[in-house]
Amino acid sequence: MTRTRTTALVAVAVAAATALAACTSAGSNNPGGSTGGGGGGAEITELKAGVFLDVTSWDPASADIGFDGPYLSAVYDPLVALDNEAKPIPALATKWEWSADRLTLSMDLRTGVTFDDGQKFDAAAAVANLKHLKAGVRSGQAYLNVTDVSAKDEDTVELKLSKRDDSLLYFMGLGRSWMASPAAIAADALAKGPVGSGPYKFVADKSAPQSQYVFTKKDNHWDSATYPFKDVQLLPIMDQTASFNAMQSGQLNAQFANAANLPKAKEAGWNISSKPSSWVGVQFADRTGAQVKALGDAKVRQAIAYAFDSAGILQAVGNGAGTATNQLWPVDGKVYDKSMDGKYQTNMDKAKQLLAEAGYAGGFSVKMPMSPIFQAWQPAANQTFGDLGIKVEWVDMAMPDYQKNAPTYPMFLAVIAMSGNDMATLSDQVTTAQWYNPNPSVDKFPEVKALVDEVEKAEPAAQTELLKKLNTKLVDLAWWDVWYQADNMYFSAKGIKVQPVTGMMFPTLRFIQRG
Amino acid sequence: MFSFITKRLLSGILLLAVVTTGTFFIAHLAIGDPTPGLLGNSATPAQQAAMRAKIGVDRPLLTQFWDWLSHAVTGDFGTSWRTFTPVNDDLALRLPVTLSVVFFATVLSAIFGVIIGIACGLRPGSVFDRVLKFASVVLFALPGYWLGIVLVQLFALGLGWFDATGYVSPEISVGGWLRSITLPSVALALGAIVMIAEQLRNSFLEVNNQDFVRTLRARGLSKRRVTRHVLRNSAPAALTVLAMMFVGLLGGAIIVELVFNLQGIGILTQQSSQNGNIPVLLGLTVMTVVFVVVINLLLDLVLGWVNPKVRDR
Repeated sequence: MTRTRTTALVAVAVAAATALAACTSAGSNNPGGSTGGGGGGAEITELKAGVFLDVTSWDPASADIGFDGPYLSAVYDPLVALDNEAKPIPALATKWEWSADRLTLSMDLRTGVTFDDGQKFDAAAAVANLKHLKAGVRSGQAYLNVTDVSAKDEDTVELKLSKRDDSLLYFMGLGRSWMASPAAIAADALAKGPVGSGPYKFVADKSAPQSQYVFTKKDNHWDSATYPFKDVQLLPIMDQTASFNAMQSGQLNAQFANAANLPKAKEAGWNISSKPSSWVGVQFADRTGAQVKALGDAKVRQAIAYAFDSAGILQAVGNGAGTATNQLWPVDGKVYDKSMDGKYQTNMDKAKQLLAEAGYAGGFSVKMPMSPIFQAWQPAANQTFGDLGIKVEWVDMAMPDYQKNAPTYPMFLAVIAMSGNDMATLSDQVTTAQWYNPNPSVDKFPEVKALVDEVEKAEPAAQTELLKKLNTKLVDLAWWDVWYQADNMYFSAKGIKVQPVTGMMFPTLRFIQRG
Repeated sequence: MFSFITKRLLSGILLLAVVTTGTFFIAHLAIGDPTPGLLGNSATPAQQAAMRAKIGVDRPLLTQFWDWLSHAVTGDFGTSWRTFTPVNDDLALRLPVTLSVVFFATVLSAIFGVIIGIACGLRPGSVFDRVLKFASVVLFALPGYWLGIVLVQLFALGLGWFDATGYVSPEISVGGWLRSITLPSVALALGAIVMIAEQLRNSFLEVNNQDFVRTLRARGLSKRRVTRHVLRNSAPAALTVLAMMFVGLLGGAIIVELVFNLQGIGILTQQSSQNGNIPVLLGLTVMTVVFVVVINLLLDLVLGWVNPKVRDR
């Protein structure tokens, strides 16, 4: 009797589940069914992208470039956009011109554009936006050299610079020139919701903040042809397993992917794209030896570079998604020199010899910060430093504290976003103080200083060759110990193609096309 | 009864005051300066100072506490330091997600836990009883994360019966809501079902061997009526486990939220801790303590109804 009842109960439960599935599948937003990716053979009209992180802020001045691009690009137009090669191209600024001394940038603006609240886009609006962006906590970094912004006429703005800045247009295109309604800026209302002129309208009543953002395409946007999808859903999904499951089930048709799932993605027949995004290795914050004298000796830094098995770490920790290299200009760029990658082939004997020559045969002691994000690389670092006789005392901290405190340590493990623009790489990674480059110390190295000056004064056409020389010098000095450049990977259903852009953790919507 | 409820409510208010006060000062001491977490490290000292003034952490800690407390007693938990929207909005957005899953998991646990517990209690040592023992060990040993992934593979990706990830509000679709919460609820409930069943089974056996049960049987009561008496006396232990489980799941659903991409209070707690978003953390704390107090009160009332002697304690 009991057995019969139990069996009946199980049967009822299964029947209920089946009925539930049957009665609700019509309402499901899963056109691809369990085959994943959605779309099938028909033309996909809705993009459903798993973006990894939630939008930081709808205020372009407070937003991050990293994962905010797709969200902001739906609702805002930029002054400057980037093409597939990360070169600045016109958007709301239809053309621009530098003065002979490259200290004044004049921009002609598109006319006939209005913001969602009815405000007109013109030079006054652009000035209000640029001033807002310059004052912004996160966006301000792009405008460090901009001293003044003014309207020359109704559709022309002029930016005055204190110092030549060859990466300004790149940063504007990367996500630092989104134009918002000047009225919303004045009312400090952007943090609560976007007010832009972008290609999509934010559908607030179908969106669930922090979970799902729904956008629908505007009929009359000036750049409508660039955006093929009628509807867009952006879903921040931090857990990579959940994101992959959503992709497999068809709840997503594009995602920020984990390289560990590559075989399954190939099996599913999805489109796969990837591009270098971050460099991984050891940042020497104390190249002058102010804190730890040993690190001021190039031979010690070179010894560390020789000691690490970069290719092994890339395979073991990075799932092989990237390129083992000792350089941090992108491996698919013009400055990168493949022939230099052999310079620090793993050689522990050579590493110990260099340490001995520097007078540190017995190693030395150093404190390094550690946070959960970097723990994947900690065993390799422990073993390698241990083999060299370098005694590391790890100081544990949470990630926000890591960013705050790492700059105060003589060296630290680093996973640093790269730039798709060569001059931006120079500025970001070499000459400008950042949390991840706290002591640029270029002035303390005359040969480096001379090369940097030469690059910064050269005509743009000549800069690549000079940057190559600088790159060679920095590798020779073991300026960093780069282990590898990690790729960002994206899976998308057949019918959708994601074009990755170095510098954007998730590309803006103009880089997601049919294909 | 009135005095019983009043006493419980007063002790609940005391608990709420102690926990929230403690959380306020511990959070401020542990997080220190929240601006790096909120602004990132590119913020200049002037921008950090402006943010400190904007969110009010440039004031003495006691002033901040009084400001927070005086608003909190009116139900206003302030503004999120990250989104600058009311904390109540964040809670209103996240709470239904977690509550849906936890409530459904609790219902599943209660129904199946009681059925299995009684079945095993009635036939100790039977095959079914031994299967329960084995299932208890296995389900306790299995990580919730793994269990969630297996359920997704089988029932979402394999059979396509349920959604693999995400939450659908019942306002949009009741069917969609059930599809979205079933697997996470089952993942949470499996361990709880065996826990309740095991508790009920042991309690059932213990009561079943007591003198009054033998007396009932000797008086010729039917097996069904005896079982009802035994169940009434063995229920308090299982009810207590169920109540504790509800509260535990409320605070510990984060693993399931991650696996199923449910934007519930578990993930909000994690994000707020990482960002140093103290107002949201405090709002979550108050809400959790309120749930603990309410659930305990309900438990006491139910226990009092099941066994009137409890009311006199």
